[in-house]
Amino acid sequence: MSAVAVTPQHQETLVSLVRRGWPDAEVFLKRGRSRRVELSAFTQTSVFSQEQAWAVRAGHHRGSFFAAGTGEPDPAGPWPEPAGRSLRLPEPSLVLPWNEPSDFDAPLIGEREGLRLLESLGRELASELPGARLLSAALEDGSSESEIANSRGLRARTRARVATLHLEAAGPGRPASTASVYLAVREARKINPPALARRLADRLAVTAQGGPPERDGGEILLAPAVAVRLLTGLVPLFVGAKAGALISGLRDHRGRIGSERLTLIDNGRLSGGTLEAPVDGEGVPTREAVLVEQGFFRQPLLAWWQAETAAGHPSGCTRRASWRDLPQPGPTHLYIKADAKTPVVALLGSIAQGYYLIDVTGPGRFDLAEGKFALPVCGFAVEAGRASAPVARAWLCGRIATFLQGIAAVGRDLTFHPLDGMLGSPTLLATGLELRG
Amino acid sequence: MPFSELDTAAVARTLSQIAEQPEDVVDAFFERREEVELPPEDEGPGLRVWREEGFAVRLVREGRTWLASRDAIEGRPFAEALRQVARAIPSATYPEPVLRMPPAGPPIAAPELAELPPAVNRALRSHHVGFPVRYSVRRHRRWVQVVGPRLVPAAESETFYSVTVEGSWGRYGALFPRLDGGVAETVAGALVSLFRARQAAPPAAFRGVAVLAPGVVAVLLHEAVAHALEADVLAQGGNPEAAVGVAMATERLDVLDDPAAAPEGVRRSTDDEGSPVFRRWLLRGGVVEQPLADSLWARTSPVLVPGAGRRGSRHLPPGPRSSHLELLPGATDEADLLAGADEGLFLAEASRGSLDSLSGEFALHLPFARRIRRGALAETVGPCLLRGRVADLLTRVTAVGRPAYPAGAGWCAKGGQKLPVWATAPALRLEGVEIVPGGPGEMPA
Repeated sequence: MSAVAVTPQHQETLVSLVRRGWPDAEVFLKRGRSRRVELSAFTQTSVFSQEQAWAVRAGHHRGSFFAAGTGEPDPAGPWPEPAGRSLRLPEPSLVLPWNEPSDFDAPLIGEREGLRLLESLGRELASELPGARLLSAALEDGSSESEIANSRGLRARTRARVATLHLEAAGPGRPASTASVYLAVREARKINPPALARRLADRLAVTAQGGPPERDGGEILLAPAVAVRLLTGLVPLFVGAKAGALISGLRDHRGRIGSERLTLIDNGRLSGGTLEAPVDGEGVPTREAVLVEQGFFRQPLLAWWQAETAAGHPSGCTRRASWRDLPQPGPTHLYIKADAKTPVVALLGSIAQGYYLIDVTGPGRFDLAEGKFALPVCGFAVEAGRASAPVARAWLCGRIATFLQGIAAVGRDLTFHPLDGMLGSPTLLATGLELRG
Repeated sequence: MPFSELDTAAVARTLSQIAEQPEDVVDAFFERREEVELPPEDEGPGLRVWREEGFAVRLVREGRTWLASRDAIEGRPFAEALRQVARAIPSATYPEPVLRMPPAGPPIAAPELAELPPAVNRALRSHHVGFPVRYSVRRHRRWVQVVGPRLVPAAESETFYSVTVEGSWGRYGALFPRLDGGVAETVAGALVSLFRARQAAPPAAFRGVAVLAPGVVAVLLHEAVAHALEADVLAQGGNPEAAVGVAMATERLDVLDDPAAAPEGVRRSTDDEGSPVFRRWLLRGGVVEQPLADSLWARTSPVLVPGAGRRGSRHLPPGPRSSHLELLPGATDEADLLAGADEGLFLAEASRGSLDSLSGEFALHLPFARRIRRGALAETVGPCLLRGRVADLLTRVTAVGRPAYPAGAGWCAKGGQKLPVWATAPALRLEGVEIVPGGPGEMPA
């Protein structure tokens, strides 16, 4: 992957667009294939899809258009007339060396292999929590290659490999408690059924047996699933040209927006990351961008065109979710840096009285203007470092500044979740927040 | 129709080679889609066009489905897809049918898209209000041809529009079968209501009377009746056929799904599996009569009838879904629905609904509402939530209004398959229902 020559028909389309009087032109081609296996109580489904599609952006100083379709683009069109705003495209820039991960070449998971994996998840769940069952399980394993060229001379080619798993489960009894898991990894074979089954079983048991707490505070341990949901709600504070202004109100008298334990990074070429790539959806090189360092805000996450009006260095963070989508800036792998020396068990053991929140149970509410949040959660009450009672139907509430400033410790279990990009966090020990029923 | 040159007989002959058992369902699904969007003025690029086509081949045998899809309508990929779904061991080679499709045609013109924003602005001025908003208008077109080994139904097509308007005080979105003067007035009316309610305080939690406008009834029916009676949803709780004969609602409710009676432009005579659609009585007198089923679920029970199979894309298998819901009108004039309520809330708009299929918990999100005092509409209140269990909520209908109106439409994204859904409904009065404050940013007490 790097700056490369593009296919002749790609070049022909680009030349044809420019000749029509549209000096700004970009052609994006994508080929992909995926295997999807799905299980429910009564049905079993296996889907094999192959996609081949393209997208073009072009225009002049008076307007622009976006056109996308399946198959190969026809240089002769038909093309729509440019309208609205003009188009700006990135200039070519140096792409640092990148070794394509070897698992990109691993074959897609087979039909039987995928079904066996889902069936084993069901068995593991039933053994973890007798009476629990999978309502539905869907595994999709896919790979793709894409190529981008623009009239400013940018040429890039990249590959991607992603497997997603969506599980919905019901606990024993009636009405049954329910829980779901959605995860993304680079290769389906890396999915660990026993660990996932334990996570689902914990969530089902806690939801079924737990009750809402009295209004309470103390030390609260946030599992990665909870911490990344908080981070997702705070993404507007860290992304885009307006982020700096939004975040200024969070600074304390030392200029920190968070505790010294808080380091926040975005990195589109994170080694082993699900979205690992040398360039973004516009062909701009990806890189590591430190947004918050030991509590000090360094810069927002900026695309190349946003960096022209905001302070900070741009990084390749323009995502193209599919060939149907326009490129949009956003997190790639956005994560809170882990502390390799701190196991989760040590964090749990340090809590004299508090809570260990293991999952979220619905969408959170974030009021960035007022600086408040509330997140529906479940977990355990903790006494003397041990779980003492399940907690469910609870809300984790507080001020955003308090959350960021009150991170007392971070664990080493950095885990990514597919949300607005891949968002990651280790377990966090938070202080100053409140749990309400 | 883009499929006029498709040799459906050749496709049918090829499909018959993989239907080895009498109960096998085998079909090919061809689709062409075209979407044109005029985005907000401050967003580039100025015009957006999507054109796509492809097919899927499917085999259903003993509750198992194999599907292979491609982004091209050509003989070789078709033969490859057949080989992938066929259960022949060792895998066989199949003949490549000649699949011709006419080219995509001339540049896409959609002048009606550009005409809507100024028309809405004019309608807003006639309400004596003005505020900055961002319009996004999209035309959706879809052509579908299903081919089975024995039957080849006629090709189907759909055209409709989606409109999204964003203001600093809220967002409005709706689907329309066509863009005419009435649409501009509908959009303007909804925007004015949202704008005027922007600072209204949410109501305190209460249990009492709620009068639902037809558009809100449509969302209620979609979540609480249609989703609840989809065969795959019913199967999560046990045997789908056990639902038939269950009294699910007050006897005042007669609810049907009738794709053939949908607005012109989105009307269908067959579903996305090629099965003929019919007037499906979901509830007759409040009793479940005919759950929504596709051909896969119809194989599981003689009481389940296919004809409600829909697919959001060729890359995913079909599933049982509603298309056009109808609630038959009752005997109460609209004015009397309010007059019969001393105090309560009039729910004019719903932004979305949700159903937990296992627990039956249901929630309807309302961006604003109007108080009812002594049978008349009074002040506006802010965002709130109507919630309850489906089984309880549907028994609390005390009056069904008349007449029934085209009650708007919206997107349904169950299982990741985004589909437009339409409705015709009268207004309803419910008593003893729970309404709690709650907007998207509402913090728990």
